[in-house]
Parts: sequence; C-alpha cells; structure tokens
Amino acid sequence: MAPLKAAKAKAEWKKRARKPSSKVLLGAEPSELGADDLEELAHDKDEYFRLGDVDEQFRDYAALALKGDHANRPLWVCPDGRIFLETFSPVYRQAYDFLIAIAEPVCRPECVHEYVLTPHSLYAAVSVGLDTQTIITVLNRLSKVALPDEIREFVRASTGNYGKVKMVLQRNKFFVESAYPKVLRKLLKDPTIQQARVTDEDDEGLAGSFHRSAALPDQAAAELGNTDVGAEVDADAAPGLDAGEAAAAAVAGALHPEREVHSFEIEPTQVEHVKARCLPGGLNYPMLEEYDFRNDTINPDLAIELKPHVTHRPYQEKSMAKMFGNGRARSGIIVLPCGAGKSLVGITAAARIRKSVLVLVTNSVSVDQWKHQFKLWTNLQDHQISRFTSDQKEAFTTAAGVTITTYTMISYSGRRSDESAKVMEEIANREWGLLLLDEVHVVPAQMFRKVIGIVKAHCKLGLTATLVREDERISDLNFLIGPKLYEANWLDLTRAGHIANVQCVEVWCPMTKAFYHEYLKKENAARRQLLYVMNPNKFQSCQFLIQYHEQVRGDKIIVFSDNIFALREYAQRLRKPFIYGGTSHQERTRVLAAFKRNPEVSTVFLSKVGDNSIDIPEANVLIQISSHAGSRRQEAQRLGRILRAKQAKPGAVGAGEFNAFFYTLVSRDTQEMFYSTKRQQFLIDQGYAFKVITNLLDATARGELQLSSEEDQLNLLAKVLSAGEEEAGVEVLADADDLAAKRSAGGGAVRTAGTLAAKSGAHGLTYLEYDTGARAAKPRTLTKAGKPRHALFRRRAQGKE
Amino acid sequence: MVSALHGVLLECDEPTREFILSLNEGKPTAEKFVIYDLDDTRLFVQPTVVNWLEQRLKEFAEENTYQPPAKN
Repeated sequence: MAPLKAAKAKAEWKKRARKPSSKVLLGAEPSELGADDLEELAHDKDEYFRLGDVDEQFRDYAALALKGDHANRPLWVCPDGRIFLETFSPVYRQAYDFLIAIAEPVCRPECVHEYVLTPHSLYAAVSVGLDTQTIITVLNRLSKVALPDEIREFVRASTGNYGKVKMVLQRNKFFVESAYPKVLRKLLKDPTIQQARVTDEDDEGLAGSFHRSAALPDQAAAELGNTDVGAEVDADAAPGLDAGEAAAAAVAGALHPEREVHSFEIEPTQVEHVKARCLPGGLNYPMLEEYDFRNDTINPDLAIELKPHVTHRPYQEKSMAKMFGNGRARSGIIVLPCGAGKSLVGITAAARIRKSVLVLVTNSVSVDQWKHQFKLWTNLQDHQISRFTSDQKEAFTTAAGVTITTYTMISYSGRRSDESAKVMEEIANREWGLLLLDEVHVVPAQMFRKVIGIVKAHCKLGLTATLVREDERISDLNFLIGPKLYEANWLDLTRAGHIANVQCVEVWCPMTKAFYHEYLKKENAARRQLLYVMNPNKFQSCQFLIQYHEQVRGDKIIVFSDNIFALREYAQRLRKPFIYGGTSHQERTRVLAAFKRNPEVSTVFLSKVGDNSIDIPEANVLIQISSHAGSRRQEAQRLGRILRAKQAKPGAVGAGEFNAFFYTLVSRDTQEMFYSTKRQQFLIDQGYAFKVITNLLDATARGELQLSSEEDQLNLLAKVLSAGEEEAGVEVLADADDLAAKRSAGGGAVRTAGTLAAKSGAHGLTYLEYDTGARAAKPRTLTKAGKPRHALFRRRAQGKE
Repeated sequence: MVSALHGVLLECDEPTREFILSLNEGKPTAEKFVIYDLDDTRLFVQPTVVNWLEQRLKEFAEENTYQPPAKN
C-alpha cells in the first residue's frame, strides 16, 4: 500500500539523517542508491517512487549547508516552505510547540513529521503574539541547515503587516490599538478612518497623539520564545550543563521589555468600515480581534465556576494558554481528537471569560450532551442554561447565561413560530461574551456567514477534531472565525494515555464467484455497493471478529454500516440489536442502555446515525462493513467513537498494548478498495498505521461460520438482487445531522422529517386572534373625520364582507 | 479425428476470471475469445488477446486503487 510505503521511506530517511553528511537529499529513496540506480528507477514506470525530474515532489536540496552541530537540532527547513521535524530529538517537545504555532501539519507519523509554512499559518502565529523577528530567529536556531533566504523572505512578506493593528473592544468602546505609533499615524491619514475616529476634547490640540497604556507581555508567546532559547542552550551546551542552569539561562535571554501600546477610539458604527479598509485590498494591515473581558463592565457577569475537582490535561492547558495569552480572549479554532475532552476546553474558556455564552452544535442530541457537560463541570444550574431546539425553547432567567442551540436553528430563514421568533430576537439582541462553535468542520461556509451575521459575539471559539473537508473549504474558516490556535498531535496523546491506543486493521475479503459475477454486470451498477457489502466472505469475517472479541477478549463491539439493507441482514443473521435512523427514541435508549449494562449484549449494529451523535464510551472494538464513499471525516469521526481512554481490563487476553481495535472490512477487487484507501488518508497523516490482513479465514474456520454452503450464499444473492432500489442505497438521514453531506447530495432525493401540521401549512400556529367583533361586521358609514362616507366606498366596504 | 487448437492457458484467481468472462460476454459472437472455461481458476483463450487482456486488467486494477494527490 502506497501510504505505508511512504511512511517507511520517511523512517529510513531518518536513519540517514543521523549519519553525518554534508549533503541533504530530500524526497529521495533512502540510503544506498547510486546515481545510476536513481536513473534506472526514474525510467521504471511501475515503481511508485518516481525519482528525479519525473516526480514533481522530488526536490534536490543538496546545496543546503548543514550547521556544524546539526545533530543537536531538530528541524530540516527547506526553501519551499516545508519543514521536517525529528520526533526523537531531545528538544522535540519544545520544537513541536513552536512549529504547531507557525506551520500547518501535513503528515505526522512516528519518526519524522512534515509541516508546511503557509500565509495562513503565519497569520495564526502572529495572532498568538509571535512577531516576525522571533519566528525567523527561533526557526533558524532549531534548523539543521542555515535558514534559506527564501524562507526569511516569505516569513517577512507574510507577517510584515499582520498583527500590527488590533481591534479591541474595551468598556464597550472600540479601540484601534498598536504598538507602533507610526502605523497608527499612517492609518489615520486615510479619510475613512479619520472620520471614524472619536476625538476627545482634551486631545483636540494634539492630533498626532494617542492613548498610551502598558500592555501585558504576551505570556504564551514569551513561553514559546523561552523554551526555544532553552533548546538552543541545550543544543549548544556541553553535555555537563544541567537542565536547571539551561532553563535559567533561557529565561534570562528571553526577557521582553514591557511594551507600550498606543490606541485611538473609533465610532462603534464605523467598525465594519474600518475593518474592511484595513484588509489586504486597502491599507493592508489586517486587524486582529481581541476581547478585553476583564474590563468589560457593561455586559453582566455570569457566575460560572469550574468545579474544584476539574483537572486539565497538559494539552488542554496549552490550548487555553494560546487563547488567553495576554489576558485577553482571542478568536480562533482549537483542534483536538475526538474523545480528548474538547467540550471541557470550551467550558473552561467560558468559565474564564465569565460572560454570556452561546453554544452552537450540529444536532439536538449534542445540545443535550453539552447541557449535561456544563452541569457536570461547572456550578451552573438548570435555570442558567437554556436550550433552543425545535422541541425546547427555553430562556435563561438570569441576566447572563448559557444558551445551547443548533446551527440550523439559528440560520433557518423560513417563518418561525412565535415562541422561537422571540428567542431568536433575544439571541440577536444580546452581546455575547463567547460564541462556542462545536464541530466547525461540518458547517458550510455560507451558513457560518449567516450565523456570524446574526450573533454579536466578542470572541469566537471553534472546536473540531478533523479539520478536513472533501470540498476544501477549510480556509474560509480562517477568516470567519479566526486562525487555528492549537492542534494536538494524536500520537502524543495516545502515548500519554489520554486517548485509547487503537490498532487499525484493514481486512481484505475476496469476493465470491457468484457475487463478483453480478458485480461486473452493467445492469447492476446501482446495486454494486450492496453486492460488495453483502459479500459472504465479508459476512463471515465479520462474524468471526465478533465471536473472537466477544468470547476471547470480552470486548464491547460496534458494527457500522451505512447501508440499511446490509445492516438489517447482518444483525438479524447474527441475532444482534441494531439502530438506524428509523428506530424510535425509546427503542434506541433501550438498546444502548442494554449495551452499556448487560454483559449479554456486547455487540450493537449502527447505521450512519451513530457517526457523531451517539456517545458510547464503553465500546472498544469497531467493525466497519460499509461506509460513505471516500469521506475522510467519517472515518475519523467513527474512530473517535472508540477513542475515549480505556481502562485496562484485568485478565483480558490481550493483543499487546493495544486497547481498542478498528476494523474495516473491504471486498477485494471492487471500488471499495479505492474508497477505503482514500478514507484512511487523514488518519495516516495523523500518524496511524493501517495493518492489512489479506486472508483472515482459512477453509476450516469458514466451515463453522454462517453462509458457508454455496446454497446459502446463492439464496443471499437472490435476496440482494431482489432488494428494491431504495433499500439498496445508502441511508439518507431525516435529521439534519450531516449538513455538509446533505448539501452535496445535489440532485438526489432528500427526505425530510415533518409533522402533518407542517405539510398542511399549519406548522407553528398556536393561537391566532381574529377581529370578529361587531365593529368589523358592519361597514362604516362615516369617515374618520365624521362626515358621511361616499356611496362608492360604502358599497366597496360591503362587498368585502 | 483429433483437432488441435492453438491457445493460451490463463491461470488466475476467481474474481479475475469473472472479470475476463465478463469482458468475453461483452463481445459480439464473432470476437469471443474464451475457447474453454476449464475450472474456477483456469481459462483457455485465443492467443491474440493476451496483451489486450493484460492491459485491461491493469486499467481495472488502477480504477480501484487510490493515489493520494501530491501535496505541495
């Protein structure tokens, strides 16, 4: 498999990197290849790694000179903006913290990580308080090679004007703030901004002067500076120097002089214009937005405290430090894997800001879960938390509070019921301290714009596990919410035991003769998916895995299938409970409760509904029998179902250190192979390795499983072929669970749930008053002035009745 | 009377055999190339189509293989 091969190549490249050599050859096949070999490889078209000019990814950086003490430094910085980080370096942790702040991670396998510098990532770096010079110096310090001029130039060009100007909302007045008075003067020369400025009477005479104040030094940024100087000391120091001394030297070296900040006030109504004027198209000083919540005395405080038992994990602390680096709140996105405690990060941010909070989630199940989380981690009571969904339209009774709602509720543009219109009005009129956006990756940019237009929030925090989208609209989020503040490394969290250690396995199941025969027929094109999902060999593998994990290891298993026909067929044959979109709420709760408590029920079959919204912390084995084409996000979200850290089971016969298993069953020689590889890309980039099992079952094992006789298989095939079109297809969720998927469905039929009342147009009408009194019954005979009405009008009024 | 036919013996796994048979099905009668369907893994075919078959099999395998796009 190609990606595995790539990972291997990188690992070997690492070995090569250790050897002292004055030349660096990037992208090259490892070690002992001579020039002749390279040439030969380049001509061999079957070789996956085409080298030399033929391969567009091949770049020759042999000209870069290594520094003398390169062995102590962790980074390879290439002129094209790519950066490679050695994870086995003693200063890996510090270097990682720094890199994640300035660069985008591309691929993070075990030994060598790849990052890339982009204008967006540098913008994010500036917004967490790093300046151009710091970025260049630290990068140079960590690099094995002298920093290429291209990189210096790129960093300067990308960050030169970023972050020089901030828009700060302080005591409900808007200030344009900068550490550079020159920049402010330049801005003030612009007529738009000049008009927007609020001039105090005292200041009248001195048009050139600004308010001055001392800014808190940015701690998070200073820390980054510190640790990295530490890295240098480590690297340069003789081995005898102990760590304490190194740290002391580091702090001494990185002391920032306290900076003075200059600002001028602008009219609140002009904020939008001023911001637009400063964008790259205009003055080219993009503004950062910060919220000085401590000095906001106008908005009422929310009495929210974290419960004393709450402890934060190191990465949660770190992401908070990035967000509140200088005592103010920054807008941005925090990326943490599923199950790593995203909601706690959001709630901590809320508790830090202590103002009203609006939480936006993807569906009503998550609304309930968030409410539960708020009550679990903080001292908030029911009356301070309100839910706004189609079923519950509550309002909090205190001056400040928490409202939890869904994206669809806010952005819905049709007619609303009276009740919900009232809540909406309240949401739109309030100044929110924090806008928490859960699962930001699923929401279409269009919907975001709308939500952000409606809700006035001082600070926006986006949370997500998977910042990938098949439509590549991720970059929009940078502008709509803010830069990425923090992204955790999955493998590091796994190693620290914060999330489960998952063994990812792809099981190849050969198609049987009869099934493949039908698969190849043109007239069965619509049924192809069903054919490869219902492949008897796949069924047997599934049965075998379930038996193994239930009986040998005593695990809790979830089986995922997007295809309802397959879901029902598998579950009924194996006598297991199953849940899909059509399962009633009671039934769902009953099955899940049994799965959690009853040792007899260790396996449950789930359709797409289980991807996001069902929380099953007990499960530690996941078997995927069919999936939504090549969606990388779905793969990652499903993995997230079993990622919550597991307690080691005493006495379980273990497969070594792994405590969770993720199986994907794939029918060989079908489209499924294509999709399966595509789906794995995101997880591979996070450093997961997929183990491929080519033959799970031998003939003897097969004999004991269902569907082993040819007759059974042919019966199944007949059933598959007679299945109706709708049954054969993928489930379309009635619930607006998956907004993005629903949009992309395009021409296909979309089912929506609704009540009969809605269909008849009476939806949301509760009570209407008609004026049927005596006054209306009789047409007026006098005009308003009291004169007799003209005959024409009298007649017309009568006609109306 | 013994009649001898010139041909090529193909040995492959079951799905591949199914694929080749489906190609054979798609041809008009005059161009059918499978002479004998021997058993689950063996076929006896016209020697002229071997190169073409190899080509088609390669294409088919590629259709089901995902190549991650180049990252820059």
